[in-house]
Amino acid sequence: MKNLFRSLLLLSLGINQAMAGGTCGRVTIADMNWNSATLMANVDRFILEHGFGCDAELVPGDTMPTGTSMVEKGEPDIAPELWSNSMKEALEKGVAEKRLRIAGKSLSDGGEEGFWVPKYLVDQKPELATIDGIRKNAGMFKHPEDPDKSAFYGCPAGWNCQISAGNLFRALELDKAGFDLIDPGSGAGLAGAIAKAYERKQPWFGYYWAPTAVLGKYEMVKVDFGSGIDQKHFTDCITQENCANPHPTMYPPSLVQTVTTYRFASEAPEAWAYLQKRSFRNAQMNKLLAWMEENQADGNIAMEHFLKNDEATWSAWLSPEVKARVKAALDEL
Amino acid sequence: MAEKSWLTDFPQMARSDLLAIRKTLDGAYREFSRSYGDVIESFFDPLLRFLVWFEKLLLATPWWLVILVLAVLAWGASRSWKLVAGVVASLLLIGYFGMWQDTMRTLSIITVCTLISIGIGIPIGILMARSNRIQALVTPLLDVMQTMPAFVYLIPVVMLLGIGKVPGVIAVVIYAIPPVIRLTNLGIRLVDREVLEAATAYGASRWQRLVGVQLPLAMPNIMAGINQTIMMALAMVVIASMIGVKGLGQPVLKSITNQYFTLGLFNGLAIVALAIIFDRVSQAYARRSQKHLSRGHHD
Repeated sequence: MKNLFRSLLLLSLGINQAMAGGTCGRVTIADMNWNSATLMANVDRFILEHGFGCDAELVPGDTMPTGTSMVEKGEPDIAPELWSNSMKEALEKGVAEKRLRIAGKSLSDGGEEGFWVPKYLVDQKPELATIDGIRKNAGMFKHPEDPDKSAFYGCPAGWNCQISAGNLFRALELDKAGFDLIDPGSGAGLAGAIAKAYERKQPWFGYYWAPTAVLGKYEMVKVDFGSGIDQKHFTDCITQENCANPHPTMYPPSLVQTVTTYRFASEAPEAWAYLQKRSFRNAQMNKLLAWMEENQADGNIAMEHFLKNDEATWSAWLSPEVKARVKAALDEL
Repeated sequence: MAEKSWLTDFPQMARSDLLAIRKTLDGAYREFSRSYGDVIESFFDPLLRFLVWFEKLLLATPWWLVILVLAVLAWGASRSWKLVAGVVASLLLIGYFGMWQDTMRTLSIITVCTLISIGIGIPIGILMARSNRIQALVTPLLDVMQTMPAFVYLIPVVMLLGIGKVPGVIAVVIYAIPPVIRLTNLGIRLVDREVLEAATAYGASRWQRLVGVQLPLAMPNIMAGINQTIMMALAMVVIASMIGVKGLGQPVLKSITNQYFTLGLFNGLAIVALAIIFDRVSQAYARRSQKHLSRGHHD
């Protein structure tokens, strides 16, 4: 009942503003079911609604269903954080057929994977930021079950990254340095292992990815393999189960984009220009995610926190007039 | 916005208060793990060393020797050729399908978990049977242990002890121990008062009554409890593998996430086979050791 009331209220507000603000009209934004995406969706909703006078509405989403529905049905209008690699072909086809337009990168660093060590370790021993340093100091990383071995925490069983982390483990010859590849069993297990090490300032070495709340809460350093990124070898071999002869390569960043329907891009060019600029750096997003987790915040509350505390970031995405409108609406919150 | 009234909206706690409670508790736990984690870890060290040793032993033993030993155990417990043949056949199948190593890992950890559960569970059950107050205290605790979703306590345990065998054993034992406690308690409470009076009349001490009368008469119930404990321990194999316990749970997890149905089914069946072996052997042993009890009257 209350929800209905609220949405009616929002709707009427939206109509008022649509008349006052411009030509944006009704916009649906995919609210994906993970924290960084829901934060972006809420930021977009607030800015589009108050800055551009759109009648913006969030609809639940997930990568595949949202992407497919955008191509096939032209609905929702905006996917604020789409991990493009997971549906590359469909997206390319959608763009070619003028159903979709890619506004820009929502995470400017892209999805980031790598092998990490806690920052306090690197502060003590700077050489641990490189794989040679890790190999040399293998003895530090105590194995929980076998005193003769060192521990490398890999990716949980069954995840895609299990294959790439396993191949890189071999490519970097970590086994020869005395490391054992530990399967943490689940994402929660892996995060728990990091938390345990961090609370007691113990050495830890393993696979993780960003943006995540874990990396926002526990500052980590990505270990440099000294190899650069070999994109071709990565896709042809490192990500394949039967990669016979893996070479070291850093993880190439995965593309994370803001995708809109073609209709929205052509009908609301100003709003679309905002989406082109709206992007986060991973370090920033890690912090925001950590804040969300710490405060049990949902996307709406996190949006308020971000807009109120990081004006410098979002005002760079907007023209002065739009910024003033958003700020006015923000003061009313 | 609509006015808030306690008539239409549940008068709930303010978000900030809830947050404060959560933060305080989380912070306290973190503090606790920081200051006592190492001590607690070293307390479990002998257990860990035993687990590692036992697993290595099972893995290093040639497969035919393991099967032989298990067959001899099955024979010793049951004196039934059928059961022995079943045990050997299922183990051979498990090995043939390439699950030998994982099965040995699971076997080792489940054996230890079951022994710990029985070792702790039966004394607690006896205490519960002796005192109504202890029973009133322990019963709700058992309810919590059986219904609390494992992940709720799994991750705090991981923060305290890291991932691996010891937290796995703790999780499995928490989940699997209640049946043996409950049924030991029940079994002893069901022993005829008159039989006990007779034993007292013959001058039996409390200890003699317990060991000579109550426990033997309660044995069918206790064995049912042990059976349930084993089953529940095996059911926890997959959950335990979520915190890095090696064994049959890991391929199951892997197949769940990747939709490898057949791989999942094979490993699931291997878990079932282990459960049935454990169960039939222990039940056959119990039945044989209690034959003298049932010979006179029922059955």
